[in-house]
Amino acid sequence: MTIDRLAERLRGFLQPEQVLTDRQQLRTYECDGLTHYRVVPAIVVLPRTAQECAGTVRACVDAGVPFVARGSGTGLSGGALPHADGALIVTSQLRAIREVAPQDERAVVEPGVINLQVTRAASPHGYYYAPDPSSQQICSIGGNVAENSGGAHCLKYGFTTNHVTGVEIVTPDGDLVRLGGRTPDPPGYDLLGAFVGSEGTLGIATEVTVRLVRLPETVRTLLAAFPGTDQAGAATSAIIAAGVVPAAVEMMDALAIEAAEAAVHCGYPQGAGAVLIVELDGPHAEVEAQFAAVEGFCREHGAFEIRIAADDAERALFWKGRKSAFAAVGRISPDYIVQDGVIPRTALPQVLTRIAELAGEHGVRVANVFHAGDGNLHPLVLFDESVPGQAERAEAVSGAILDLCVEHGGSITGEHGVGFDKAKHLPTMYSAADLDTMQLVRCAFDPRGLSNPGKVFPTPRLCGEVPGRRKGTHPLHQPGVAEVF
Amino acid sequence: MEPHIDAGLVSDCVHCGFCLPTCPTYVLWGEEMDSPRGRIQLMRQHLEGEPLTPTAAGHFDACLGCMACVTACPSGVQYGTLIEQTRVVVEERHPRPWPERALRGLVFGLFPHPRRLAVLKGPLRLYQWLGSPLRDRLPGRLPALAALAPPVRPAVPLPARLPALGTRRAVVGMLTGCVQRAFFPDVNAATARVLAAEGCDVVIPPGQGCCGALSVHSGRREEAARFARGIVDTFDAAGIDALVVNAAGCGSSLKELGDLLAGDPGYAGRAAALAAKVTDFAELLGRLGPVAPRHPLPVTVAYHDACHLAHAQGVRSQPRELLRGIPGLVLREIADPELCCGSAGVWNVLNPGPAAELGARKARDVLATGARWLVTANPGCLMQIGAGVRAAGGSIRTAHTAQVLDASIRGVRLSAAPGVG
Amino acid sequence: MTAQIAGMPAAAVATPASTAEVAEVVRGAAGGELALVVRGGGTRQDWALPPQRLDLIVETSRLCGIVEHAAGDLVVVVRAGTPLCQVQEALRPAGQQLALDEPLPGATVGGTVAVNAAGPRRMLYGTVRDLLIGVTVVRADGVVAKAGGKVVKNVAGYDLGKLVAGSYGTLGVITECAFRLHPLPAARRFVSVRVDGPEEAGRALSAVLGAQVVPSALEIDTDPLTVTALVEGVPAGVAQRAADLEKLLGDGTTSAETPPPGWGTYPWRPGDVGIKLTSVLSRVPYLLTAAGVTAQLHDVALRLRGSAGTGVLYAGLPGDTDPGSVIGVVSDLRAATRAGAGHCVVLTAPPAIRSRVDVWGHVDGLDLMRRVKEQFDPLGILAPGRFVGGI
Repeated sequence: MTIDRLAERLRGFLQPEQVLTDRQQLRTYECDGLTHYRVVPAIVVLPRTAQECAGTVRACVDAGVPFVARGSGTGLSGGALPHADGALIVTSQLRAIREVAPQDERAVVEPGVINLQVTRAASPHGYYYAPDPSSQQICSIGGNVAENSGGAHCLKYGFTTNHVTGVEIVTPDGDLVRLGGRTPDPPGYDLLGAFVGSEGTLGIATEVTVRLVRLPETVRTLLAAFPGTDQAGAATSAIIAAGVVPAAVEMMDALAIEAAEAAVHCGYPQGAGAVLIVELDGPHAEVEAQFAAVEGFCREHGAFEIRIAADDAERALFWKGRKSAFAAVGRISPDYIVQDGVIPRTALPQVLTRIAELAGEHGVRVANVFHAGDGNLHPLVLFDESVPGQAERAEAVSGAILDLCVEHGGSITGEHGVGFDKAKHLPTMYSAADLDTMQLVRCAFDPRGLSNPGKVFPTPRLCGEVPGRRKGTHPLHQPGVAEVF
Repeated sequence: MEPHIDAGLVSDCVHCGFCLPTCPTYVLWGEEMDSPRGRIQLMRQHLEGEPLTPTAAGHFDACLGCMACVTACPSGVQYGTLIEQTRVVVEERHPRPWPERALRGLVFGLFPHPRRLAVLKGPLRLYQWLGSPLRDRLPGRLPALAALAPPVRPAVPLPARLPALGTRRAVVGMLTGCVQRAFFPDVNAATARVLAAEGCDVVIPPGQGCCGALSVHSGRREEAARFARGIVDTFDAAGIDALVVNAAGCGSSLKELGDLLAGDPGYAGRAAALAAKVTDFAELLGRLGPVAPRHPLPVTVAYHDACHLAHAQGVRSQPRELLRGIPGLVLREIADPELCCGSAGVWNVLNPGPAAELGARKARDVLATGARWLVTANPGCLMQIGAGVRAAGGSIRTAHTAQVLDASIRGVRLSAAPGVG
Repeated sequence: MTAQIAGMPAAAVATPASTAEVAEVVRGAAGGELALVVRGGGTRQDWALPPQRLDLIVETSRLCGIVEHAAGDLVVVVRAGTPLCQVQEALRPAGQQLALDEPLPGATVGGTVAVNAAGPRRMLYGTVRDLLIGVTVVRADGVVAKAGGKVVKNVAGYDLGKLVAGSYGTLGVITECAFRLHPLPAARRFVSVRVDGPEEAGRALSAVLGAQVVPSALEIDTDPLTVTALVEGVPAGVAQRAADLEKLLGDGTTSAETPPPGWGTYPWRPGDVGIKLTSVLSRVPYLLTAAGVTAQLHDVALRLRGSAGTGVLYAGLPGDTDPGSVIGVVSDLRAATRAGAGHCVVLTAPPAIRSRVDVWGHVDGLDLMRRVKEQFDPLGILAPGRFVGGI
């Protein structure tokens, strides 16, 4: 009933095709990139302007209907998992690149713009957008902001949070507010910093201003094959210890290589127990000097074959294997869990050994892909759902890996976010007081708890009263518009 | 056999979304249910027992079948097979409203029939003389259909057999096609001449019919099988090493001739054997390597990947290499090369509005290359992009890869394919 | 040190030595609704606005020392009261650094985080918000809370480190910080050129930004008008990049291994007026022009210095400048920064001026900020009134 009334109100200011209530259409939105969880939303809304998005949120607030934002639906933690009684607000039609300003090293884009498109728009000017999640060809900037997405090159360049200088958001009250802008250090609290990575629980971004980075003069990429992950890990540590800051250091183990090979025929060296992709970029003289050192470290630690990309095409082929690795695992296993955890890099050998033991104990296989430079692991737990008990065992291994990361002083997620999937694991990392403190921010932004409820935090905090200062001033508080708590 | 969708193939999709940016309808509308991932979800629902509603059928119909998603998919989902299976289900179970039925009837009663298309050339010529004010008053999708058509050219008769020049390296059959034959006779002539110049005996059986590609791609499997049997009868006794196809859509479909006729005991073996011989024009020349000397051709060309060549047949480098092999020719790449131009067989006739949008987008990217010539290997693309460029008020000359090679080998000026001059 | 903050006397000073002790102190203050201000190195007590009320000063001098330096992981965990220079000394033997400049010597880690202080090298390394990976704070109710951790890559939960960075002690008492570290560069080179006017400065800046020298800093100083770029890296690379810079910047360029005078410091002395100006990169020359015009107009000695490569400049006026002129200058500069999508904030000023000028200017999202403050400090005991909008 509530939803019918909401739909009617939305259709008052949106085109019919922007408001979906057909069950089969709704079901195409029932999950994001994490398919273990599926919830059919009550209604899907596709706003085309920030005002339409704000109007949608206001309508939801008035109806007391929770709402979830979704970009391209590629998230791997279920952050955009719909709410059964709620609205799914999809930003895929908010996809204009509003401005590319290389002279200011900024671009202004709508949230539905695809990550790679920002780089494509900037590169004719000699600039690019640095954060490059493996899904960069499809993931949206809005989604990147929500999840504080990383990528292979964030070892040197940082994450989304380091590259977003401003957002316009629809607050969970339905107001359009700007946080940050084109210039650094705006006065006041760094609400932008809190918003980036808040996984849709503090509102919906409707415009994002990003930093553009000068395309490097030189990019040198090598692919080194090692007998095993220990040697590749040791080479990584040696590179970092020598004071080199590579643009990226990526590692894949034998099983991950097998999958990538099956999917994209990347032609990695035969018989490798692990490969490292090391990329250096920057001024020519700087890169050349360090590249020789990196090559030396790889040989010193047992690399039996080193390939150096001769051109962009070969470089792309090195990366193709790595970037398609997650989905490629579909070629060697009917089902799998993509895990995302972080450890201090120096703990890599112990953690990998333990992961192998866990896999053996539970009778499942684990393929490992990771951002070795910053200790971000992506163990892929392979299983076959049709074999009774395997899914549960895979789930157990996957969970144990997260505990292992926390034991070693790491994190339960380096880039995929907590979302729905890991909310239950958050208390292994943070105390009740820590979580309570984080939720103070939530209460400030979303006292009603309507913005992506059930995500990030295992249990919601009661926010008490909506801050009193706003009474009588805010349009929502005018008679009949909104309920005042 | 009862039409069905293969559940195993559906479950191959891991929902990563890598297909989305390459899907023309997703690019147009930004909706999940008009993306490959969403359509697979709709197939899954159908398998789970959801009825085939007009809404769902609409999303399947909206698929161009360009197969860009297949190229993009890291998990190897066989979307091509899935959508073909689904289209058969839609054709059988989804009653279409009469105007749609009528249009489909018209299209499928016309395009796969070269002689009927030839008859149409008269009225079309008249239509093209009408001028736009009058044309705009014609009803519905008819103007869309006609706006795509190139200026009509007289047919060039081809001999039944063209002997190889110099040492014979292969005996090849040549498919003359329907649209190609009716509207682009010069392309067929150029194809035959280049093949002969490169040392092929070219067998061109007169009276060959449609290969059935349009029907296959639209879920009209019975009709497709009927056409396919005709092709097998025509070519399997012709003593050829290869069956050369110069239209991408026909080529991709003929390569799967074995699957189409697998259930027909009288044809299965012969169809599979013929399918193994099917090769695209550029693919064959790439394999043979050049022997005929090339004369300089000082032109700047943009090469457009026809979906059914690049995505369905994986032929991308060969045409580019053939073009680069021509002295003086400058090759330019088009932005977003994976994106379909909107032609997609008869899709642009059935969906004129969105097709025009895609055509405009492609035309913009083509014009941005600054090339004077647009080269591609599919008649549909030539017409579609030509129309897009015209609509944008631009001008570009269009040619098939074969025509460019032909001009270079013969040392003549490159003459425009019928299209925009 | 006296028991006062910006002229406001306090009844008591606490010097807790651990997070637990800080918690105890804050709990006590909360119980009595006592207003408190944290003091680290005391280098910026005259920044922002004076507290509206003050009962207790919490000094972090005993909350000192390095908790952990994981050299192999390029991470350090330090207590908030540790002087920044001590942290650098401790890291140097490992060939590492916390890549934060120290514009005011003697600043502590906690104070640096609380005001989000940064210097020239922010261009390459970013600021506190980019380097802080974990933080422990004591809330206004005495509850100890942590956010982030000891790994560089971590997206679990909200990034409270960002929120406390630059919050001027109004959300909680910072007791411990974890930072990502960078290797100390083997070589560095400062390449400077004197320029004749904002336009020429603009050309020099664009030339460096458009080149491939990847400077760690790109600074401008108006007295005399000079553009300086810093390159850091391996010796061979630095030599090449410095040579490239010399070519780019043309005649009269000088190159040195030591910084030019005033490098990385604010263009004012204690007791002066200190202003922070931000602008998009392309409008930095305009900002220089506007500053020159307003200085002439109001007949004041206005000196600018700062990171032209990130669009963050600082301006200094003598403390004895007529308050009316300061108001005029701030108003002009505010208009100029607005044209460059930036802000003009009066960081510090003598009381007579501070009381008459709008120090923060326009603040986007102020309503949300008030709501955050309300949640974190409902009693308003943490540095009340020091921050934007009277927070």
